[in-house]
Amino acid sequence: MLEVENISVYYGEFQALFGLSMSVGEQETVITVGPNGAGKSTLLKAISGLRPAKAGRIIFLGQAIDRLQPHRIVDLGLVYVRESGQVFPQLSVLENLKIGSYLRRSRPGFKRALEEVYGLFPRLKERRDQVADTLSGGERQMLAIARSLMSQPKMILLDEPSGGLAPLIVTLLFEFVAQIKAQGYSILMVEQNVKKALKLCDRAYLLESGRVRLEGDRESFSQEEYIRQAYLGI
Amino acid sequence: MSILIMNALVNGILLGGVLALLAFGMNLIFGVVKVIHMAYGQSVMLGMYAVYTLSGIYNLPLLVSAAAAIVIMAVFGALLQVVVIQRLLQANRLNQLLALAGLIIVFENFAQVVWGADLRGIQVFMPVLSVGNVFIKTSNLVAFVGALVVLGLLHFFLQRTYLGLAIRAIAQDLPGAWLMGISPRTIYLVTLAVGGGLTGVIAAFFSPIYSVHPHFGGSFTMMAFIIVVLGGMGNLLGGFIGAFIIGIVTSLAAVLTSTEIAEIIALVIFIGVVLVRPQGLLGVKQHR
Amino acid sequence: MKRAVIVLIFGLIAVFPALGPSSYVLHIATLIFIWAFIATAWSYMGRFGLVSLGHGAFLGLGAYTAGLLFNSLGLTPWLGMILGALIAVGLAVIIGFACFRFGVIGDYFALLTLALGEIVTLLLVAFREYTGGSLGFTLKRVEPSLLYMRFDDKVHFYYLALAFLGAALVLWKLIDRSKMQKALRAIGEDEVAASTLGIPIVRYKLYITMVSAFVTAIGGVLYAQYVTYLNPHTLAGVAPSLDIAFKAILGGMFHLWGPSIGTALIVVLEEYIRVAYGTRFVGISQIAYGVALVVLIMFLPKGIYGSLEAYFRKLRRRS
Repeated sequence: MLEVENISVYYGEFQALFGLSMSVGEQETVITVGPNGAGKSTLLKAISGLRPAKAGRIIFLGQAIDRLQPHRIVDLGLVYVRESGQVFPQLSVLENLKIGSYLRRSRPGFKRALEEVYGLFPRLKERRDQVADTLSGGERQMLAIARSLMSQPKMILLDEPSGGLAPLIVTLLFEFVAQIKAQGYSILMVEQNVKKALKLCDRAYLLESGRVRLEGDRESFSQEEYIRQAYLGI
Repeated sequence: MSILIMNALVNGILLGGVLALLAFGMNLIFGVVKVIHMAYGQSVMLGMYAVYTLSGIYNLPLLVSAAAAIVIMAVFGALLQVVVIQRLLQANRLNQLLALAGLIIVFENFAQVVWGADLRGIQVFMPVLSVGNVFIKTSNLVAFVGALVVLGLLHFFLQRTYLGLAIRAIAQDLPGAWLMGISPRTIYLVTLAVGGGLTGVIAAFFSPIYSVHPHFGGSFTMMAFIIVVLGGMGNLLGGFIGAFIIGIVTSLAAVLTSTEIAEIIALVIFIGVVLVRPQGLLGVKQHR
Repeated sequence: MKRAVIVLIFGLIAVFPALGPSSYVLHIATLIFIWAFIATAWSYMGRFGLVSLGHGAFLGLGAYTAGLLFNSLGLTPWLGMILGALIAVGLAVIIGFACFRFGVIGDYFALLTLALGEIVTLLLVAFREYTGGSLGFTLKRVEPSLLYMRFDDKVHFYYLALAFLGAALVLWKLIDRSKMQKALRAIGEDEVAASTLGIPIVRYKLYITMVSAFVTAIGGVLYAQYVTYLNPHTLAGVAPSLDIAFKAILGGMFHLWGPSIGTALIVVLEEYIRVAYGTRFVGISQIAYGVALVVLIMFLPKGIYGSLEAYFRKLRRRS
């Protein structure tokens, strides 16, 4: 579904990703882990078009997207949920969700998508007229993910969804992700919480200093000594 | 004496209505595109020349001329976005200010070349009403009511339509909106077109009241800044309130002292706000 | 090598009148010198990030003080310019202190100075019994003399203006060597860091503003003496204020020669367009001028001198 081929991404003169390649298959959940500054967010920014790659190719559903602007990429069914639950602060919960259906192709299905999203996140239905920046951190993260679902995507990029959230909320969050996965969406998730993320995923990549250090399916990844020591505390 | 003040007060309020439109346009453009449109008042001037030309020279009915002027200025705004503003978005703030200030020179001299330096006005008879001791020109009243209606429509547009929602989204979080499928360029185009159309609306309301000349825009641009900063840059409600405050204050001051002193007072208010509370009445404190 | 070129250029400019140019050319050159003087004074502040869009206020205060004192008391403009400059400095201190104390910087500062220029213009117009209002006033006739800065031959003002310009450039160099320059550079780069190092921010900003105001006011007097006519809209208004900023920035306000080059180019451009399109279409020249400005700002943000310097530096790096 998504093929990243040899991309290099820069911040000005500074190179963040070095000829990185990875892929996500249909209905697969892939996680990317690694230390801070490894380039995990940069990878998602490159795929979504926010920070285009200077070299390499990115192919989504058979189409090259590395030269496309973000709004066109969303239209193809690839949506990016940024870290820290960033939502439109002065819009209500409902308005935030409405924006999710902004795309021409999503508008007819708005009501149905809204019902589905409310089903997954009943708390949002309760708070639908509340202004977004009065929500708690966990609620905002829910809203950010819910909003992305409104665009009826085929694939979702999640950037550290558990970031800054209390442990109880983190558990809730991973349950949501599991439910979303069960509905058949393809997911590429960047995460710090390796233990919980590994339980959900089909495959995993370890990124360090802008390069893929390790990759594998859930089983083999969890068996890796390095992963067990550094990230699973075993 | 107090009759004079009453009249000044009423006229100040009426003027405030149209100034509110001016502030809305500037705030919309600033809030969404994040540039200060230095030549906004001059755009109103151009709109007035459009009305003058269509109705005064080609003798079209006033309403038709007004409608046409609004469309012309909306297109003009869109062109401005594509030709000038889009290219300025990467530049630093100062260069943006200067380039748009350069437009002031272009617009004013364009007007001078095409229409000459003399006053140009349309001849339209609008009666004066009297309510007790207060004389109200219907032209002012129409402008006031019209302004409120237009503001109401704009509010509806922003709150109830998808496009309006998209505009608000871009203003609050550009990357977020982009990632939701909203094209910033398209939104900028719409914003500048709406802002431009608004200058046409203001021009239509002003045409029966004022005669236009190439430097007509100058004091309105300054007035627009004062109002927008007073209310809080980018804050639509703040602009609305600020417009009435400035409208009333300048009207009263003009009657009690002189027009120059009135302008000076407005400018002093502006300086005071920038010094003491730069975020204005309703703005959010920016970290400088 | 650079110094030799500079000496050569100054030499050429100095002997230029001996080559017998028309008085029109001398006139243009004199205007260039005067406005370059003013643009350089503006850049004293501008180069450190204190961009003012209201320098017309200082021009106006200087010119009107000297001009009114001359017309009513016969005071020599040499004294008048000092007095006018002091008044301008007074205003600079008031507004500068207020701004810097309250931390007003960047575009808010620019807009504030714009408002200030407007206020001075409006005041000059409001006191019309003394100033002649929007129509301005003319300096009284008087016999040509150095004392009253009036000459029958254009050449004299040419050299006078050139001398003043030279003085402004020397002052630039002096500022460059002073402690103030280093402090202001630091402030320009990172104000917070500079203040934690103990640099008195407000004081240095105030100093440079005072210097800029003082010299600009003198420029105003020079200009008024040259054209012998004062008008609030050509001296103090938004137009001249923006004009000065344009000239300095287009030429490159960070370099010694930037403002002078920018002024020379703009004045020549203006004159050329005016002559080419004829005075029939007075406005067309201004339109072209405005468009040229907008385009230049859009594409040459470092100014002409700055862009050229950067270009040559890049070439040198490649070789």
